[in-house]
This record gives sequence, structure tokens and C-alpha cells, in this order.
Amino acid sequence: MASAPVVKATVPTRPMPNPRARRERDEEVLVWPDLVFIEFVSAVLFTILMMALATIINPPKLDQANSDITPNPSKAPWYFLNLQELLLHMHPALAGVVVPTVALILLAAIPYVDRSHDGQGVWWGGHPKAVNIVVFSTVFAFIITWLLILYDNGTQDIIYNCASQPDKLWSCLKEGGTPGDAHHLPAYLRNVRGIQTGITWPKWTTHIPYMPFHQLKLLDSNFLNLNLPAWIVEQAIPLACMIGFPIVLVFLLRFRYGPLGVRGTMFALFTGFMTVYVVLTISGTAFRGEGQELLWPWQLKPPEGLGIA
Amino acid sequence: MAISERPPGQSWQDTVYDKLFHNYIWRSIFRSGYPNTPRNQALVVATNVFLHLHPTRLHRTHVKITHTYCLGGLSFFMFLGLTVTGALLMFYYVPSVERAYTDIQALESNVRFGELMRNMHRWMAHSMVLLVFMHMMRVFYTGAYKPPREFNWVVGVILLVLTLLLSFTGYLLPWDQLAFWAITVGTNMIGSAPVFGTKSRFLLIGGTEVGQGALIRFYTLHVIGLPLLAAIFMAVHFWRIRRDGGLARPL
Repeated sequence: MASAPVVKATVPTRPMPNPRARRERDEEVLVWPDLVFIEFVSAVLFTILMMALATIINPPKLDQANSDITPNPSKAPWYFLNLQELLLHMHPALAGVVVPTVALILLAAIPYVDRSHDGQGVWWGGHPKAVNIVVFSTVFAFIITWLLILYDNGTQDIIYNCASQPDKLWSCLKEGGTPGDAHHLPAYLRNVRGIQTGITWPKWTTHIPYMPFHQLKLLDSNFLNLNLPAWIVEQAIPLACMIGFPIVLVFLLRFRYGPLGVRGTMFALFTGFMTVYVVLTISGTAFRGEGQELLWPWQLKPPEGLGIA
Repeated sequence: MAISERPPGQSWQDTVYDKLFHNYIWRSIFRSGYPNTPRNQALVVATNVFLHLHPTRLHRTHVKITHTYCLGGLSFFMFLGLTVTGALLMFYYVPSVERAYTDIQALESNVRFGELMRNMHRWMAHSMVLLVFMHMMRVFYTGAYKPPREFNWVVGVILLVLTLLLSFTGYLLPWDQLAFWAITVGTNMIGSAPVFGTKSRFLLIGGTEVGQGALIRFYTLHVIGLPLLAAIFMAVHFWRIRRDGGLARPL
């Protein structure tokens, strides 16, 4: 256009200081109607969807609140069931407060760690192997999280128990192991808590005074003495898992796809985090029944079972 | 009198059109003409307070559905819908332990479209939590948090927390067993925090166990405190999208 030959240059063409800007203008569309139309259609579609859901599905009808009757299980809203699931496996302060706080801070810190401009505004931009990294991280986090949940549930003991009686294998697995049978794993291998209760720890390990706190009485009674076995089970092992497995993931990815760079590492860690978040939410919502037992979704009793309201 | 976009006075329809849409009063409300020319299309966005959240033009790739899936916009739309349905629910709901549960029952049986309003509010709330999460994932995987948009990502994380808190505070209001025990479980988690746990739990639920204190606190936070905060952060969020150059795209 601008470079087209001018026949009569009676009027000198104005110099174009920024020809790139001109080209970008040609790539632009007007918000009205191009964007406003899309927004309007999606708003209408979502209004219809919400109306349909609201008409078809009613909230569960339960009795009036009563502090004397505790439903079993009592569940938090579904988006907090991931934390409630964590609560089953570690110290309540760690699961309920420290982990979510640290997770949110790390989430907010992503752009301050990954400061490069590469791959902005493009799906899977910034790393040539981004999709592979995301798929690998999803699968890895999915498997590891479920294995950890199953391990803490004592599933390995059930399998070991049932494998010793191959003739009744299926019915045994279905029943969740035969009680009282001799073929059990040692107590310290049945779940994480077994490390505390299944081993005879020396007496002094359960009663180590926290030196500064013990004398100053600054903190509440939980902080007077350290119970080492409980600390290992409730804090050290969960923390080691939560810090260790992301590191293992990053090293596995480096081994497979070469150097990840900052953006690649972000892809891996964010994807892993979101996968764990989703798995924990699903297991807490659809796989936890009475007494927070691990059950199949169809074994739960609605509506408390699903905890969706 | 304003200039018509149509050829002047040829038929009675044109006369009626001009009388309706080119009179003094109409023009005092809508300053630009019907948006069927590029000039008027740009003007209608620039001169309308609601539409001027947008720029007047944007890059071709950004109107592709698969670029954003409208997730941020839909989250905002859910917020607006929740405000409307929520305000309607407020007409019928009294946040007291004696009345809350029966008010909800009455809403479902005695109020025309009451159940629809409640159910819409509930589904929009669930959807908003999901949409906000999906929006965050879209922003992450398209690298839209990169400079100069770092702080807007942080504002987004704050809005995510506010969305969860809004949903959580609303969860208690029906005052049924599900609500009561979910909030008991949820606030017990806060109570387990080291050092300040018990005190923050007391502050949040206005007592040692979930009761009238908790209900009125959650209600106030749900209907005014948190929506106001969320609206402020949303204003910052949207403003900064524009200031940082619109949607992210390759340099």
C-alpha cells in the first residue's frame, strides 16, 4: 500500500516513523461488533446453562443445623476437600494452614521467578517441549499422589494379605483384606502412622523439650515438648514428600527432555501442583466415606458422602 | 438536529426512525449513532461506561475463542449474576439461627421463582470457583503473567482467594446440617494454625463454636465485605489489563 509506486508526486507522502504500527493496525478488529458479539453469546449461553442446572438439580435437603448431631463424614465445601484430604495424612497445622499459605505465596511468586518475555500470549509458549512436559508432569503427579493416598490407606497390606490366599483373592480384595489373618505386613509398613506406633521408640524420643519455648512459655502447650516419632510421621515425612517429589519430577524431566530452563520448570511445577490439587479434591470428595474411609464413589451415601452442596 | 446516516426524508419510515433515534433526548443519552460504520463502532465502545472496559480495537488473534475461552469474562459475568440473584435472596433471608433455615424453606415453597433464584445463585457460585481456576490455568499456559503483567497475576491470585472466601462464607447461610458442619470442619482447620490458630478462629466465628456470631459474621462478609473487596481488586485487575497493553501476545 504505502510502497505502491506514486505516479505524480505533487504531494509528498508523509514519512512513516513506525511502519510496524501500521501493519499491526491492519491485524486489528473492532471490539464492536467482533468481541462484544462473542461476549454476548457466551453470556446468553451461560445464563441458559445456569437456568437449566438450577431447574434440574436442587440442593440436597437436609435438616436444620444441630450442633449435637455430627454427620459422619462431616465434609468441608468441595473446593476445600483437598485440604481435608491432606489433613488425613499430616499434622493439622501443616495441612490446614502452612501448606495452603505457602502454596498461595509460591503461586503469586511465579512471575517474579520467571521473568523472561519468551512465549508470551501463545498457548504452551516459552518452551519447545511444553506439551510433553505438561503431560509428563500430569501423569507423574497423578500416579504419585494416588500411590501416596493408597499407601497411607494401607492398601499394600490388603494386597499382601490377599495375595497369601490366591483361592479367595477377589473376594478378599473386595472385602478390603481378611481380618485377623496371620499374613500381614509389619505394622511400620502398613501406613505412615505405623512408623510411630509400629516401632518401639526409646522413651526419651517422645519427650524432647523445645529449649527456648519450654522456658519462656511463649507458645501454647503443644510447643512444650517435641514428640520425635510423631514429628517424623506428621511433619517430616509429609514435608519430604511435598518438597522431594517436585524435585524428582524436575530431574526426571531434565533427564528426558534436556534442560528445562525457568519456564520449563514452571510448566512442570505448576502442572504438578494443579494435578495434585485436583486429585486431592476428587479423592476427598468422591472417595471418602464414613469415618473418612477410602471407598469407591458408588459406595458413598449421598448427600453427605459426596459433600457437594 | 443530528445528521442522519440515511438518505434524507424519503419515506415515512425514515421520518419515524429519525424522530425516534435522532431527537434531542435520545442523542443526549447515546451520543454516537447506530454502530454500523467503523467510526460509530469505535465511538460506541469509547463513549459507553460499560463497554469502555474494552479498548476500541484489538488484535485479530484475541477474538479467537480458543485463545482465552472467555474464562476471565465469564468469571466476571458470574460475579454480576451472583450479585443480582444474591440481592434478590437478601429480600427473603434473615441471618438469625432461628429464622435462617425456615427462610430458605419458605423461599423454596412460598416465593415465586424463589427456588430458581436460590439454585441459580448456588450454581453460579460453583461455576465461578471452577471458572476462576480455569482462567488461572489459561493465563499460566499462555504465559500471560510475564512482564509487564507480574502484578496483575498477583491481583488474580488475591481474587482467587476472595472467590473461595465468598463461596465459603455463603456456604453457612442456609443453616442446615451440611452448612453447619462444613463450616465447623473448615474453621477447625484455621484453628489448627500454630500460635494464632485458636484466636483467629474465635475472631472469624465470633465464639468458640459455630453459632449466631458466626452466622452474622459470615453473612456480613458474604453480602458486603468480600464483594466490595472483590470489586475493588477486579477494578484494579481490569484496569491493569488495559494499562499493560491488553491481552498478552508475542513480542
